[in-house]
Amino acid sequence: MALLALILVPLLFAGYVALRPEREAKSIALWGTLGALGISAWTLFDFDWGQSGVFQYAESFSWVDAIGLRLSVGADSVSLMLIALTAFLGPVCVLCSRTAITHRQRTFYAWLLVLQAAMTGVFAARDLVLFYVCFEFTLIPMWVLINLYGSTNRKKAATKFFLYTFTGSLIALAGLVYVVWFKWSVSQQWTFDLYELQRTAARMSSAEQAWVLLALLAGFAVKVPLFPVHTWLPLAHTEAPTAGSVILAGVLLKLGTYGIFRFALPFCPLAIGEYAPLIAGLSIVGIVYAGLVCWVQTDVKKLVAYSSVAHLGFCVLGMVALNDTGITGSILYMINHGLSTGALFVLIGMIYERYHTRSMDELGGLAARMPVWSSFMVFFTMASVGLPGLNGFVSEFLCLLGAFQASHEWAGTPGGTPGRLGFVYAAVAGTGMIVAAIYLLYMVGRVVFGPLVEPHGHGNGSGHGHGNGAAHGNGDAAALPRDLNWREIGTLLPLAIACVGLGVYPSPVIQGLRGPVATTVAVTKEGAAYKPPARADAKPPEVSR
Amino acid sequence: MLSGILNSLAALMPAAEAGGDLLHPPKGAMLMLAVPVLTLVGVLACTICAVARVRTKLPAWISVACLAGAFGCVLATFLGYEGPRHAVGFEWIHLQWGGETPRGGGQVPIRALHANFGLYVDTLTLLWMLFVTGLATLIALYASEYMAGDVRTAGYSRFFVAFNLFVFSMSCLVMADNLLLLYLGWEGVGLCSYLLIGYFYKKPSAVAAAKKAFIVNRIGDLGLALGIMLIFVKFGTVEYATLLADSKFQGFLAAATAGDFASIPWDIQLIPALLMIGAFGKSAQFPLYVWLPDAMEGPTPVSALIHAATMVTAGVFLIARTFWVFQVSEYALPIVAWIGAITALLAATIGMAQFDIKRIMAYSTVSQLGYMFAGLGVMTSVGAAFHVFTHAFFKALLFLACGAVMHGFAGQLDLRKLSGVQKMPGWRIVGVTMLVGCLNLAGFPLLAGFWSKDMILAQAFAEPGYSAVGWVLLLTAGLTAYYTFRVYFRVFVGPQHFEPGDEVHGHDDAHGHGDHGHAHAEPAHDGHGHGDHAGHAHGSGGGQHGFHPHPPGWAINLVLVVLAIGAFAIIPLNFIGEHAGHGGWAADMVHHSTAGPLPAGAGHAAEGHGGGHAEHGTFLGMDPHKVMYYVSGVVGIVGIGIAFVLHLAGRTEAARSRADGLLPALGPIPGWAQHKWYVDEFYDFLIRTPLWVAAHLFHLVDKLIVDGLVNLFGFIPRALGKAIRPSQSGVLHGYALAMAGGVAFLLLIVLMAAL
Repeated sequence: MALLALILVPLLFAGYVALRPEREAKSIALWGTLGALGISAWTLFDFDWGQSGVFQYAESFSWVDAIGLRLSVGADSVSLMLIALTAFLGPVCVLCSRTAITHRQRTFYAWLLVLQAAMTGVFAARDLVLFYVCFEFTLIPMWVLINLYGSTNRKKAATKFFLYTFTGSLIALAGLVYVVWFKWSVSQQWTFDLYELQRTAARMSSAEQAWVLLALLAGFAVKVPLFPVHTWLPLAHTEAPTAGSVILAGVLLKLGTYGIFRFALPFCPLAIGEYAPLIAGLSIVGIVYAGLVCWVQTDVKKLVAYSSVAHLGFCVLGMVALNDTGITGSILYMINHGLSTGALFVLIGMIYERYHTRSMDELGGLAARMPVWSSFMVFFTMASVGLPGLNGFVSEFLCLLGAFQASHEWAGTPGGTPGRLGFVYAAVAGTGMIVAAIYLLYMVGRVVFGPLVEPHGHGNGSGHGHGNGAAHGNGDAAALPRDLNWREIGTLLPLAIACVGLGVYPSPVIQGLRGPVATTVAVTKEGAAYKPPARADAKPPEVSR
Repeated sequence: MLSGILNSLAALMPAAEAGGDLLHPPKGAMLMLAVPVLTLVGVLACTICAVARVRTKLPAWISVACLAGAFGCVLATFLGYEGPRHAVGFEWIHLQWGGETPRGGGQVPIRALHANFGLYVDTLTLLWMLFVTGLATLIALYASEYMAGDVRTAGYSRFFVAFNLFVFSMSCLVMADNLLLLYLGWEGVGLCSYLLIGYFYKKPSAVAAAKKAFIVNRIGDLGLALGIMLIFVKFGTVEYATLLADSKFQGFLAAATAGDFASIPWDIQLIPALLMIGAFGKSAQFPLYVWLPDAMEGPTPVSALIHAATMVTAGVFLIARTFWVFQVSEYALPIVAWIGAITALLAATIGMAQFDIKRIMAYSTVSQLGYMFAGLGVMTSVGAAFHVFTHAFFKALLFLACGAVMHGFAGQLDLRKLSGVQKMPGWRIVGVTMLVGCLNLAGFPLLAGFWSKDMILAQAFAEPGYSAVGWVLLLTAGLTAYYTFRVYFRVFVGPQHFEPGDEVHGHDDAHGHGDHGHAHAEPAHDGHGHGDHAGHAHGSGGGQHGFHPHPPGWAINLVLVVLAIGAFAIIPLNFIGEHAGHGGWAADMVHHSTAGPLPAGAGHAAEGHGGGHAEHGTFLGMDPHKVMYYVSGVVGIVGIGIAFVLHLAGRTEAARSRADGLLPALGPIPGWAQHKWYVDEFYDFLIRTPLWVAAHLFHLVDKLIVDGLVNLFGFIPRALGKAIRPSQSGVLHGYALAMAGGVAFLLLIVLMAAL
């Protein structure tokens, strides 16, 4: 029931928001998200962690029996943690929009809640149909949020976001449908159940798997986003309202990595083993390339947006290492990135509300004006840089270590696992640690430290043309104090506590992930063991049907 | 010795049995657990002070109390020391896999990445912790007065938060029982260094220096991280005790001791090379030393504690801690020796040509760290650790004395603009303690710095094949004596003269300059533009600028005196214990830890001061261990003498000395040295600029090509849509076409798979 409640509560509150008057919208939305957070917290306690690999809270409703269409939900520990992340970011999104969104509040909060329900649905889905429906449905609320509440260039950003990711997911659908069809061709039985499909999908020939993998990646890699299909992201992030960016970075990108974990890995284990170096290569290119691009941005938000491309590169790298270390690191990375980058977007939103600019040419040395904001900024930057003791480090280190371990070179060593990555991949990806320090400290050095720079004419709360009736409440913003108020501190503090907690004591989370990770590693073992055939007698690996 | 250490290591291995846990730590470990806890209490208390807007010296007293408590704990542990102790705080990262039973039978072995918040306390740890916590306490006391100018701002609390956090990180680094926790401390001290270098955050140069320190350190950190990963992959552990007692590792060590390096795989030999990169970054060795001189932008107590005495010795600690790992590689220690020697010489030559006294001290730190690395490289981990220990005292002393000058003369650090400070009223203690520091640094006979430096020099000549390193170090010793006393003779003695610096320390008005950071010429001083300096001397204390140098108060003087006494008090330590005369107490401490040398008789690994074996090197045909005392003493005195002739004898004004007359004869060299041999510019040209160009290029590529292609694809359906039905917007057609495309693609896949 808990999972259904987690989907339905936001939906119900969304309806309630739509029915009630405008001025009540934000408090209703806050209660709705808090309710979901409460349920989610309860599931974390209630969950049977000894069986973390088993789908719990399972519910299943038949829909069209003739073709085995059912709606089933259930969560293993990976789903549960990602749902918890979604629920955790919910109140943050509502709180950080309180003064930023001043017109058409009902629409905003209603769609925000719908979005949360859809994202929860993606993680809770245990069959393809529900997954895909929710996966695609997230696009619509997000499109509305960007299109109606974004900055100047929002229409273009919204359209591009929609078309780009939608096209990708259509191709992914093709891949998923093929897997279902394959199941039918083997067993003459229609089913959309994840487990059932996993069991047969692994029996596809490696050529089939390669095509399915390509199709799935077309959808998921765009979402992640993996280089070179990342260009929708900086635009969408920059134009989206703060809450939109938080959701986008915090959860929506993870739909891609989650999809890879949940579908690409178990459906095409051979292919993923075969193409792991290629995918890892793309991730590493993304890490370094996007990192360097960050460094030359002048818009703070764009900088953080590009940094997501670099960060998620680590995440995918860990995933395709196909060993316990890498996959655990990768899943942790999804959570940690959601927290630290989400917080960075919240912080930038606070600045934007006060100064109506995000350009580093017009902002500088804010430590002198806003010490509290600056402390948070430095803190979350450090979390993002991957400072040990904060959350980012654990996941980044595990991803890198996973890639490092995954090499046939280490055969026979106590720490090595089969795979085709190894030292060079880890070392080159590791330069991303340096690049991250370069661009993030560059940002902090300009915005937080240095001589104070404020936009011309700031402070009188007027005179900023925002064209197109964009949603910037000048009136409200003028009422904001110079430094953060308690509501804003209250938004950031839970995120900071979570960052410290996951950095200092990640052990329970790591242990909790053991079940699903071990299952996935077992499924992909054959792929990980793949060795490219010697040149002379090139022969594809044998497939056992 | 070796077997003794191994036995104690083996006893520690199953952590739960011998080590105890958080609730039941073994005897002696409880006190050590208190060290990180107390420093964290300091962090929290100072944070609360910052939040509660405390505008008194309370944070300073809290810090002094916490740090003194920590020092007390370390001291008590030291006095009650019975052998290595292992205390597991709590499980930090524990990732386990394997263990399942495959279909074919048998069982996949269980593997785990295990990194606890666990402490490993042996004599090496204690040696480090004693001076880290001891100096931190003293320097916190010093800072309570030094930072007093900021007491009315949040900066005072902020300073002490970072200060305590630093000591916490350092204690993690030194007391960790595994490499990953060491890494936590390693990056933690880097963060504190970043925050404290950038303390004056309104100053662009401070911000840039902080950034540079962090980034350059990160380069080293990557090396360290990869080294840790390689250790884990090869040995399945990151804990020292398990690693060093690992049978495979012991096998490699045995092969190395026998000189059979060919049998050790290349990737094992790569481990020390990677760890070394980390050590070079943190300890400012060539080529990663460039951040340390710039780090002097931070407040002086920070320079004294972090960038002279403690943090920068972390690299030495790492190598000492993993000294055995370094011995399984044929090239690791020779590289360390040579890098150390090169750094020592390079930094000394730069230091000779600088005018900023704090930077001279910074370069001398780099140079002395070079000595320590050279010491490690020539197999005297004892000499290196001993030098770390003595250096911590006298270098902290030197920095704090320079800091007192800077504090009293409004940030003036140019040795051409200060002279005869010692004779000014209230400056005697600073002058005398500075002299003590300088004599130690210069290696004046019989002082602490002399004994430790001598051990390294003698061993360099004694270790076969390293006499070139020895000569470089000996030359550097002379240069060191010269530049050290160049500072002393110009600033502290000679004719009295001063020009105040341009930093009003915040005493007069802490608030007025809020917006611009550095308060240059105050409006009231317009009449006394700085342009008319040239000719006339500003008589001592003459109120020309309305400026009076203010001599240090009790806290600063007390700390200086304590440190100076300490620098003398550690001399007898060289003459006690099993190794009296050869490192004494410090040697015992190192020998009883994992940093001790391997058993003698293997030739390669022997410490060699028994002088008994065949390959013993010589110094001009004599036993280096016997003659080096005299040689290095003479070299030091000659260096001081040259400085006396060039910089004190016959000097009548501050800005000129006899050395100026020599400069033209040297051609462009002094200029190059003054510009730090253009290494920064070279790095800029070689690394920063290409990266910057690449970044812009990538940005363009991203916009035009990567995104351009996407837009092109997006344009096709829109154009088609327009062509088909121009009355509607293209967007919907886009969807429709994309969907059609998707379906077509799907069919394609199905067809291809079916065929």
